Amino acid sequence: MSDILLLIARALKTTMRMPAAVIPNIAISVFFLFVFNSGLSSVANLPGFKGSYLAFIIPVSIVSASVGGAGTAGQALVRDIESGYFTKLLLTPASRLALVWGPMVAAAIILVGQVVLILALGLALGLKAAAGPAGLVLVLFFAFLWGMAFAGYAVTVALKTKNGAAAQAATFAFFPLIFLSTTFVPKEYITATWLKWAATINPTTYVYDAMRSLLIDGWQARPLLIGTGVMLAFATLTGVLALWQARRATQLG
Amino acid sequence: MSAKDADRSIFADGISRYFGELRAVDDVSLNIGSGRIFGFLGPNGSGKTTTVKVLTTILALTAGSAWVAGFDVKKDQDQVRAHIGVALQEIGLDPLMTAGEMLGLQSRLFSARRGAAREASDRLLRTVGLDDVDPKKKVGQFSGGMKRRLDLALALVNDPDVLFLDEPTTGLDPASRLGIWDEVRRLNSDAGMTIFLTTQYLEEADKLADEVAVINKGKIVAQGAPADLKRQVGNEVVTLSFESPEAAERAERVLAPLAPLRQLSGNDVVCYFTSASERIPGLVRALDQAGIGLKGLTLAQPTLDDVFLRVTGERLPPQAVEEEDEA
Repeated sequence: MSDILLLIARALKTTMRMPAAVIPNIAISVFFLFVFNSGLSSVANLPGFKGSYLAFIIPVSIVSASVGGAGTAGQALVRDIESGYFTKLLLTPASRLALVWGPMVAAAIILVGQVVLILALGLALGLKAAAGPAGLVLVLFFAFLWGMAFAGYAVTVALKTKNGAAAQAATFAFFPLIFLSTTFVPKEYITATWLKWAATINPTTYVYDAMRSLLIDGWQARPLLIGTGVMLAFATLTGVLALWQARRATQLG
Repeated sequence: MSAKDADRSIFADGISRYFGELRAVDDVSLNIGSGRIFGFLGPNGSGKTTTVKVLTTILALTAGSAWVAGFDVKKDQDQVRAHIGVALQEIGLDPLMTAGEMLGLQSRLFSARRGAAREASDRLLRTVGLDDVDPKKKVGQFSGGMKRRLDLALALVNDPDVLFLDEPTTGLDPASRLGIWDEVRRLNSDAGMTIFLTTQYLEEADKLADEVAVINKGKIVAQGAPADLKRQVGNEVVTLSFESPEAAERAERVLAPLAPLRQLSGNDVVCYFTSASERIPGLVRALDQAGIGLKGLTLAQPTLDDVFLRVTGERLPPQAVEEEDEA
């Protein structure tokens, strides 16, 4: 257990020494928040739309931030593989899980910091979270979980390709995940059948649902349970994939 | 377990490591006793580094079994790692961290407590002569020589029983090379570490190692004490140099009846004798009669280079002293 704490601390420290790795990411999520909130807020005037458009769009800003967080984790690992430092770490008795999950958890922690900023901005813009402060804390936890899920994917690709550009390019796979969903309008307003269908099978939809339920409707068991289940399942799946790929990549050379 | 009765041996039984079709390491067996310095000699791409990587758990074995410090490299990987130190040829350092941070983290991952890790870090910085470096300086700003010394320090954080040094002096200037040699001898005699040292430089293996194996194309082609190996090629070596490889080839045929142990190498013909001085006039006369111009002649004690040439038909690369990349 102490191994992973040491490696998380180290990953946080080194990421902070590369502000260029974090700042663009913060800028993008803030951009999403402002642009969509000011440009699309009239959607909230449609009949049947519940709550403010700000509360509706904040989860999009959070999920897009988690893509950047995933990139951070993947790049941190590629950086260590390229410098040879990852081999140094492999030569210690530290658990292989700690070596792979350390940078993932660190990236998810940085993401949580970013989400605190997004929520603070939201509150300044007039966000009223229906589930109250505890609901906002749960939103942070969801951000952490979804950040881990994406980071696991990015780390798997990083270990597979051992190439920074490939790990970066792999994050493009997140775009359909983010946008083929209830990103800008609730499902009831999606008229294209294919998009409705895509949104239904897209796990991100349930992440949006869970976060929006807290911000717009208050405490509701159904979206929270489904969302938590989806996020846990994905975080576990990609986390296990990352670990498996680490074992493979390091032993096969 | 006290230092005295710790198992510091390396034992490999028919180990192989393939990369697809390439047999990087092919049926290598080793038996290295506790407290020995073992020199693993071979040219670039001969399988030295891959052997180190399979013995240190970084790469999986394709076939065979190996035990390091008494632990199975396949089944007890954590135990192997806990008892060995490894400095690979490709230095593995994080340019964003300081030397102290890296040594501290490495110690703690070997389950040292915070205080002990700091002590070990300070001690090792003194050992490798980096204690006067600004503690805030990031490793990215270190010179090539400093990086190599820090890498060695990282290999020593757990006070290992067996130390693997993969080409520790490649690219170092002669003074730094002598420094590493002294350090290797000191670690071996003071701490009793078994040292597995790979090198392309026969001089290095000759000066440091109790025992040497020569590897070429993944296979061990000669093994033994440096003196025994040298005896295999005779007591004295005569190197005859010619204008061209063609001339050397003709000379090699002419000299065949006079020098039963000989080897063609570029412009040279190398002949091995028990006692060479009385043979030299005969060699020169024979060449003269055949009308082959002799460009140079040297008489020397055999070196590991001669061993390598004998067993592989190729010369080892020359001692390359590269410029240190000063940052």
